[in-house]
Amino acid sequence: MKIDPKFVIKVAGTLTVIALVTAALLGLVDGVTRGPIAEIEAEKTRIAMSAVAPAGSEFTDKLEIPAEAIEAAAAQGGKVMELYGVKAGGYVMKISASGSQGTIVMMVGTDANKAITGISVVSHAETSGIGTKVVGNEPNDAGVGVLDQFVGMSGAGSLVVKKNIVPITTATVSTKGITMGANAALAAAEAMG
Amino acid sequence: MNFGKQLKEGLISQNPVLVQLLGMCSTLAITTSFFNGLGMGVSVLVILTLSNIIISLLRKIIPNEVRIACYIVVIAGFVTCVDLILKAFVPALSNSLGVFIPLIVVNCIILGRAEAFASKNGVGAAAVDGICQGIGYTLVLIIMCVFRELLGAGTFGAGLLGGGELGAAPGLRVIPEQFGIKILTMPVGGFLTLGALIAAMQWALTKSKNKKKEAK
Repeated sequence: MKIDPKFVIKVAGTLTVIALVTAALLGLVDGVTRGPIAEIEAEKTRIAMSAVAPAGSEFTDKLEIPAEAIEAAAAQGGKVMELYGVKAGGYVMKISASGSQGTIVMMVGTDANKAITGISVVSHAETSGIGTKVVGNEPNDAGVGVLDQFVGMSGAGSLVVKKNIVPITTATVSTKGITMGANAALAAAEAMG
Repeated sequence: MNFGKQLKEGLISQNPVLVQLLGMCSTLAITTSFFNGLGMGVSVLVILTLSNIIISLLRKIIPNEVRIACYIVVIAGFVTCVDLILKAFVPALSNSLGVFIPLIVVNCIILGRAEAFASKNGVGAAAVDGICQGIGYTLVLIIMCVFRELLGAGTFGAGLLGGGELGAAPGLRVIPEQFGIKILTMPVGGFLTLGALIAAMQWALTKSKNKKKEAK
């Protein structure tokens, strides 16, 4: 079958022109909405950071993540996605680690002594009714909020589920995911000094 | 172009959800509160009308072989615009509708109307079709939302009424919380409500058809 080149040009040309016009329109809308969206995102991040740092903490802008912090976190099984400094000393990090159904993204705060000041989950895909108990900070088998038990703990790699971290029965893997993130955050904090 | 006839088609005889059975996914998923239903309905109405207008304008230029690809590009463009605008100016609605706004791209109502109507009719008629079909979709969403929210959660207008921030407002309590039919707020309740509505619609349509036959 021989295809008429004119036909190809017509088909490809129309599609290209429509795509270009659409792209231009999107560019325009993006220009208008970029500012407000960035503000809303920054506000969300600020709220998430305040939840894991001591009350009244002030934060620096987003920091460049040093290579040694990334490596140290990776050795513990977590990935540092964002890094902020706490003005009174310490860091707040957005960390991802694998849970039972996919990646758990969490905010972890550390203080000047490299101890955890708080953990809160930003996004996850844990099983509803099981893993979500961990995400929602419900009481663990010892009756303490499963995320609250991390507060004050330190020493990268020293946090181990069923040793010094008490899981929620049936949601052990999700608890392990959080623990992995906590170890990674501590490792990163230690690497940054 | 006959606005009255097209409106009647959009609302009743050719209702996109209850008769054409298009856009089921979003209909089932987001009809849990009045706020969601209204937001989703209006978003679809705007996108449907704009894409109908553009596709009708381009109907003589777009080669038949790549028409679906062209429609999808136009529709995706408008959906992304609406998504960005909601994110920037109505974040509460954007949070609560989540992924269902970007998914309007593949909502069959829009592609269906582009293929069945806008690509064969003039700009005016296509615009009116978009508005009428959009109103039909919105109306069904609102009926489902009111029904499920009222009987399931026992409130009316959650997200909009009852004080508090937009999207977080508790709504007006009509039925005490312990008497709500919780199953209606769950996905299965969406299927039940939609099934009942479709049945009611078919009953009404058949009844009026039979009446017309008898009159003849």
